[in-house]
Amino acid sequence: MASDRRHPQLDRIVGPFAEMVLADDLPRLPAQRRAEVVEFVQRRASAVPSFTRFGVTVIGLFYRGLLVAPSGRVIARFLMSRPVPVLAEYPRLIRSLGYAYVWERWPDTLRDGTPA
Amino acid sequence: MNATATTPGTVAMDAEVLIVGSGAGGATTAAVLAGAGFDVLIVEEGEWVEQGSVVPFSLEQMDRQYRAGGVTVALGLPSIAYTEGRCAGGGTEINSGLYRRPPDDVLQRWAANFRIADLDHDEVHSIANEVEQALSVSTVPGPPSAPSDVLRRGADGLGWQNSEIPRWMKYDHHDPAKGQRQSMTRTYLPQAVAAGARLVTGCRIDALEMGNGTARRATTTLADGRRGIITFRHVFVCGGAIQSPALLQRSRIPGHIGRSLAVHPTVKLAARFTDELNVPDDVPVHQVREFAPDLSFGGSASQPGLVALALSDQWATFGRSIVDWRRISVYYAAITSEGRGRVRAVRGLRDPIVTYGLTGRDRALLGSGLARLALLMLEAGADEVYPSFRGAPLVRKRADLAAMRSAFSVARASVMTVHLCSTVPMGEDTTKCGADSFGRVHGTANVWVNDASLLPTAPGVNPQGTVMALSIRNARRFASTEHSRG
Repeated sequence: MASDRRHPQLDRIVGPFAEMVLADDLPRLPAQRRAEVVEFVQRRASAVPSFTRFGVTVIGLFYRGLLVAPSGRVIARFLMSRPVPVLAEYPRLIRSLGYAYVWERWPDTLRDGTPA
Repeated sequence: MNATATTPGTVAMDAEVLIVGSGAGGATTAAVLAGAGFDVLIVEEGEWVEQGSVVPFSLEQMDRQYRAGGVTVALGLPSIAYTEGRCAGGGTEINSGLYRRPPDDVLQRWAANFRIADLDHDEVHSIANEVEQALSVSTVPGPPSAPSDVLRRGADGLGWQNSEIPRWMKYDHHDPAKGQRQSMTRTYLPQAVAAGARLVTGCRIDALEMGNGTARRATTTLADGRRGIITFRHVFVCGGAIQSPALLQRSRIPGHIGRSLAVHPTVKLAARFTDELNVPDDVPVHQVREFAPDLSFGGSASQPGLVALALSDQWATFGRSIVDWRRISVYYAAITSEGRGRVRAVRGLRDPIVTYGLTGRDRALLGSGLARLALLMLEAGADEVYPSFRGAPLVRKRADLAAMRSAFSVARASVMTVHLCSTVPMGEDTTKCGADSFGRVHGTANVWVNDASLLPTAPGVNPQGTVMALSIRNARRFASTEHSRG
């Protein structure tokens, strides 16, 4: 169906952010696995309903801007740790998708991403 | 599929009765009407997925059988995650399979408050009997699973009312773990097809073309992108509480449509026990209803990915326990909400915008519900309880519950829901009802809704039994009225 199409622009927004979240949370997750998780997160983000996709794009662009700004990662991490309405939903979505994938695919992974 | 190509790239179909959606409402409607001799065409947006070909509650199942891969959300503060089935059989293919009869007090309240004509309790219960037989509604033959027994044990210890909820499941009495779900693809859909109904999957209904309150054609998009039209005499919209009002709105049908979404919001926790208990591909069958209908407790799917999800809000302190996932199971506290939501179709957007607002009472109830659920877990022998909200403390003993209670706020929690209803409430009161007492959309001549959208409020119990009973009642009324017209 049309809604199952990938959105390359969204991939470019979601991908680097998912990389950052996974690198922070699961630093010992092997690179190949991390790439697989990021690909999954991008695919799911492309499939969300159109209005949600719009929101993900807008908030994702905000975070992408932070990631390239000086000290932006520090600010991004601070925002991610606070229950800020709307802004906090995006990292939560990325994290939820990533964790669900990691532990379904490799259930005995340790908390830092180390393979069992 | 009775489809004929008209112009290149366009597919045309026709039927006496078009049924949009094949879940608990659509499948039963199709079975009743096909059995009564109507020429029925069922159109389903998702694909037919054979039971057993995907692991229940897995990401693959979400990819193939859930709308948007299971990532759907009602916007609000906080936003509430929800799921919808998008496959042949709809939500019945992916839900817990727990069955509850429509509660008498709820039926009585609906009839009075929404002016539903002829809502005869005896008739509804008689239909419920038929449904229970058709779906082999039964309890587990033998002891419950370990995660289910946690609910029983904890509630018994606290003196709280609890029971095993029957499921529509055919159990193997030699191996109760090998039950087979009696979802719509196993029951009412084959029955409808055997009676002559046609089922087309991978076909989305974009809109109904209306004129003078009458719908005559539907415009469609097939999975391969081709457009099409379906002509019909009558249409039953059975796409569920989100998609049904969205289709009516896209078709510019006015009235009380999509304005009163009701849900059962839930908050979760994970609990770790000394022995292994996790059952990745099934859910507990016990529910605790000591505080019902305001509040009830049950068990969730707990495959390791979902355990990680339950721990993720407080990963820094809870994440270490993921290695123990075989000793962990996930549980929920569900409330009967006084909040309301909306479904709005917006021109140019393929999907509707869904919003939901919790009331102050809802927020307080979710907090007290999670605390009581944690208490129940401790009573059942949990050595650690991990509430799913940001900043949650680890709960190891009763003395920790006060800290948990004070740290909780709904804004920090992962709130979700599965029971969506009430977006086209049924009844004669047009100030709050979108459809009449038998599902015909007010102001239309031949457009019916027959799914969870019709339930005037959230019923406070798993709603599938209520949806099926009312759908069959309405379809029968339609058939007898049409037959008497000749």
